[in-house]
Amino acid sequence: MLNFLMRASGAAAATVLLFILFSIVWPGPALSMDQHTWSEQEKAVLRSLSIEALGSLPVDPSNRYSDNPQAAAFGKKLFFEDHFSGNMKVSCATCHRVDYSFTDNLPLSHGMDTTPRRSMPLIGVAYNSWFFWDGRSDSLWSQALGPIENKLEHGISRTMSAYIISKYYRKDYEELFGPLPDFMEENFPQNARPALDDPDALKAWVLMTPEQREVVNRIYVNMGKSIAAFVRTILPQPSAFDRYVEQIHAGETIPSRMVLTNEEVAGLRLFIGKAKCTNCHNGPLFTNSDFHNIGLPQKENVAPDKGRAAAITQVLSNEFNCLGQYSDAHPNDCPELRFIDTSNKKYAGAFKTPTLRNVAERPPYMHAGQFATLREVLEFYRSQAQNPELSHGNLTDKELDQLEAFLHALSSPIASFQAEVQ
Amino acid sequence: MKRGLFVIVVLFLLLAGCAAKDEQTSGAMEEMTESHGHGDVKITKHFDESLTMLTDKNLFSLEMVIPAKQLSMGVNTVEIIVHHASGGDVPQAELTVTPWMPSMGHGVMQKPVVTERGGGLYSVDNVVLSMTGHWQLQVKVAKDDKEDTAVFNFPEVKAMGHEHAMMHAPPPKDLDYATMKMTANNAYNVMYKSIGGQIRINRIHSWELTINDAAGQPVNDAMVTVVGDMPEHGHGLPTQPEITKVGAGGLYRVDGMKFTMPGWWVVTVSIMVDGVHDSVSFNLNIL
Repeated sequence: MLNFLMRASGAAAATVLLFILFSIVWPGPALSMDQHTWSEQEKAVLRSLSIEALGSLPVDPSNRYSDNPQAAAFGKKLFFEDHFSGNMKVSCATCHRVDYSFTDNLPLSHGMDTTPRRSMPLIGVAYNSWFFWDGRSDSLWSQALGPIENKLEHGISRTMSAYIISKYYRKDYEELFGPLPDFMEENFPQNARPALDDPDALKAWVLMTPEQREVVNRIYVNMGKSIAAFVRTILPQPSAFDRYVEQIHAGETIPSRMVLTNEEVAGLRLFIGKAKCTNCHNGPLFTNSDFHNIGLPQKENVAPDKGRAAAITQVLSNEFNCLGQYSDAHPNDCPELRFIDTSNKKYAGAFKTPTLRNVAERPPYMHAGQFATLREVLEFYRSQAQNPELSHGNLTDKELDQLEAFLHALSSPIASFQAEVQ
Repeated sequence: MKRGLFVIVVLFLLLAGCAAKDEQTSGAMEEMTESHGHGDVKITKHFDESLTMLTDKNLFSLEMVIPAKQLSMGVNTVEIIVHHASGGDVPQAELTVTPWMPSMGHGVMQKPVVTERGGGLYSVDNVVLSMTGHWQLQVKVAKDDKEDTAVFNFPEVKAMGHEHAMMHAPPPKDLDYATMKMTANNAYNVMYKSIGGQIRINRIHSWELTINDAAGQPVNDAMVTVVGDMPEHGHGLPTQPEITKVGAGGLYRVDGMKFTMPGWWVVTVSIMVDGVHDSVSFNLNIL
């Protein structure tokens, strides 16, 4: 056996030596290639990342109001409405700030109190299959309803939401969804919800008649569907990167005319090549919408966040999911839920790959704001070279500079329903 | 041939790692002494992550290495090092490996292929496990006039998934991207087609499988499983596809296929009809 071992390691050493010799003799194609010359396969990858590949907004079969402009206008008002909160100060826009790429600048978002995770970017969110960092919602409208009843976020109930709508938005609502009942303490409790973290609210909810609960749920769902109709319109516009891809496909090669700097192009080349960023950050939104545990440092004195693993049963049991009674979809139109991977072992501590569009505009980073700068993020990935899922090659400091420069080229103004957002 | 080459490369890497370790720690080979009535017998262990077992009559000690870390439903390879119970390698032994499912009382049609690598090392290819569950690998060693057996237990063999296939193999240069192939043991001919044209990354879509037997007759009542795997990254599909029998023309519909990374994917279709199991792996390059 030992004999064999020695022979084997000798052969391995010879292979390595041959490889080194080969590397010295062969300079590799990159050095001799012009900065702006891309192979046909690379061009195909560039096109797949370009905003041109985004296509029209995907239909949300679970929300029949998703492309209704009137619902979007109503949803926009709700998005900015502070009344939907326990202290009348928190709206969706508190953590999804218009002036901050529809997210906020905090490591952990703060509504009524500090939440365990960072606010998600909303840019291009309608193209996602799963919502929240852990994908515990399968539609934008059911996502929009989650924070309203979360004690740390808006901190109110669905009955209170119905009260607020009937008081301030009766006309808007009734034009879209039909007549609203009067909400008075005699017929509807103010603070009732099917909550496991609030016994009083749960008791009040259980004591309501099924008809009352149905009335409230219907209003609550319509509210979510309206907010979703607005949030769907928050979209990226062409970035410098997208204009560069156009130039490449138009055959432009004169360096002085190119919209990306040499450093940014070098970063792009790394992004789709050696650094393998497109393994997860692929497609026109630079995300595969899947969930990955990338081995981020754990916070001390805090129970580990189970991420996707804990969300699988949540989304399956959510009364507002695609297969539920409040969804407008035919069951056949819910493939993500139907074919959901239920292996919670695989998804332990896994979080959604976020879009990289406008990423430079919205530090800090990661699901709990673990890193303050893009540089820290890149340094982290470099430190994970031993993780096969994250092997980004042995990147030099200069290459990290180039990648960082490229990420800045993904910024663009944001389009949204009626250009003057607020 | 390619597959054999790959196994050898993996083996070299493993062994080189073992040799390097020897130098560092001088004596990574552990020798555990156990008392078994007839006197002391030794179990020699070369690798950290290996399984060791004494044969029933204490004649040999066996060390099993699974390059893919664990066995899974489908086609597997294991390496076995045979030692005399008193120590010392056993070359030129006759090794027979039989997969067995104790709860079902059946094995598989396919016979594992044993190749001696020298120095008491044998690689065992084509270890086919046709379903998930408790499997045994029964190993019979015959050397000169001595013969003995040992049984390795694998209580939880799973479908190839995230925790499996951490091989991180780069794609071979001349991958076969054919969409119609014979299964590994030529029992069936399988063709796949993506319904709706070209497969696009990050989109849930459906496949249509056409399965015929070796004589070209449609196979309409097979138990079919479909598993996707990314050998370079060691994980599978982000979905759990469902297979529906169409019931005619050897057609099966696979719903819920989704690829979330560009690059080399391997989709393995396993087919079982009347106890005859066979499987085929298709290579895909997702852009």
